[in-house]
Amino acid sequence: MIEFLSKKLNWFEVEYWFYILNDLSLVYIILPFFVLELIRYAYLKRLTKNLILDSIANIITFGAFFVIEIILGLLAITKVYFWVYNNLSLPHLELNWITIITCVLLADLAYYWEHRMMHRIGIGWATHTVHHSSPHFNMSVAYRFGPLDAILPIIFSLPIVLLGYDPILVLLSEIFVQVFQTLLHTEIIGKLTKPVEYIFNTPSHHRVHHGSNKQYWDKNYAGIFIIWDRLLGTFEPEVEKVKYGISEPLHSNNPIKVFFHGLTRLYDKIKKTSGFKNKILVFVKPPGWEPK
Amino acid sequence: MKSSTLLFRSLAILILIAGSAHLVSYASINSESPKSNRKEDTNNTPVSETENSKTSTTSEIENKESINYSTDYIIGKWEVAYTSKDFKGVVIYNLKKEKGIFNAYTYQYENESGDIEQAKKSKVLIIEKFDGYKGAGKYLIDYEGKQYDVKCNIDMINENTFKLSYDYYGYSDVETWKKL
Ligand SMILES: [Zn+2]
Ligand SMILES: [Zn+2]
Repeated sequence: MIEFLSKKLNWFEVEYWFYILNDLSLVYIILPFFVLELIRYAYLKRLTKNLILDSIANIITFGAFFVIEIILGLLAITKVYFWVYNNLSLPHLELNWITIITCVLLADLAYYWEHRMMHRIGIGWATHTVHHSSPHFNMSVAYRFGPLDAILPIIFSLPIVLLGYDPILVLLSEIFVQVFQTLLHTEIIGKLTKPVEYIFNTPSHHRVHHGSNKQYWDKNYAGIFIIWDRLLGTFEPEVEKVKYGISEPLHSNNPIKVFFHGLTRLYDKIKKTSGFKNKILVFVKPPGWEPK
Repeated sequence: MKSSTLLFRSLAILILIAGSAHLVSYASINSESPKSNRKEDTNNTPVSETENSKTSTTSEIENKESINYSTDYIIGKWEVAYTSKDFKGVVIYNLKKEKGIFNAYTYQYENESGDIEQAKKSKVLIIEKFDGYKGAGKYLIDYEGKQYDVKCNIDMINENTFKLSYDYYGYSDVETWKKL
């Protein structure tokens, strides 16, 4: 077993498998699933104009996010990551199954923390609120991103590179976590079997994360493994029916408004806040924070 | 939950996960004993003599190769130190780009006592795929008069060092190539 797990792997084969799991999953699972969701909406007479416009806005925000991500990603990955990897990191890890599995685990833990920070820091919420602002819950909502959503992941994955993991492997693992997360955005799947619900993040757990019901606020930050929430005190099971969205609803499907509403709300809050120090604190304090 | 508990738990998880990866990685490097017999052929005539005369003409095309800055930095001379019982010393290889593929040829031998000998130009390494960062190809090993094509991987440590590793039916080795 150990021998198998520590056997050296060919980089191009690893890259190829990530390509199948990460890139191609859109074609063989995400899109078919979304079609299924649309059929279900139609059957339940919930296929409204609002839902369709919401889905379109989701895809457009993803496009905008993707452009920012590419520009930032190219700069950060090629320059910062590799510099850290070549100059500061622990001895470089061999490419084997243990390295890949632990890299995905660490990418998932990093996702937990970056996600938690996005909820608990003013500037983080200003961008992440976009993802939560849809009153619906389907695969397309997974693609609803804010303008700065790409920045925190870069900071939180740098320690993994520092630990000796190949920057490209870290990047592929992070995308893998994102793809897994995407699949959770559905109402079709109820609760899964106990052991699965105990270990993994599931549609049920992520519905809770998207809930605007008071007891569901700031819960279930996980990517792949819900264990992080259980260990770090943020787990909440799905009991009451989830009301999706944010406490202060957006009431708009205009993609530009959707994409920037967090930043404009943050700007308004800073304008209203008096005192320079307080204005700065708005950035780093939790979103609900008010100066005394 | 207290911030200190959060920090402590997160760090413990981090150390546990990354630690196990390093442990396995460390153990697997150590099990690859440096028993390289690769230099068996250092003084023998390479088998692929005929191929060599062909390849020397292709080097004229070199200048017409399209330049790719992210990969072509590996072109040039590289040295590798060997400590096997058959050969102790340094071998210098010349790495060229030929028809979009990187090939390395023996260039010069220097034994323990510092004697330098120009090598017959024989192809030892074909890098079929290379993204500027990781690569794969064939290592041409001469062993007891026979030539073996062994699949190998290349890992750039930095732009002046790469690790060449191969595994041939349990006979594995890692060489460190340093740029001159
Ligand atoms: Zn969230
Ligand atoms: Zn979500």
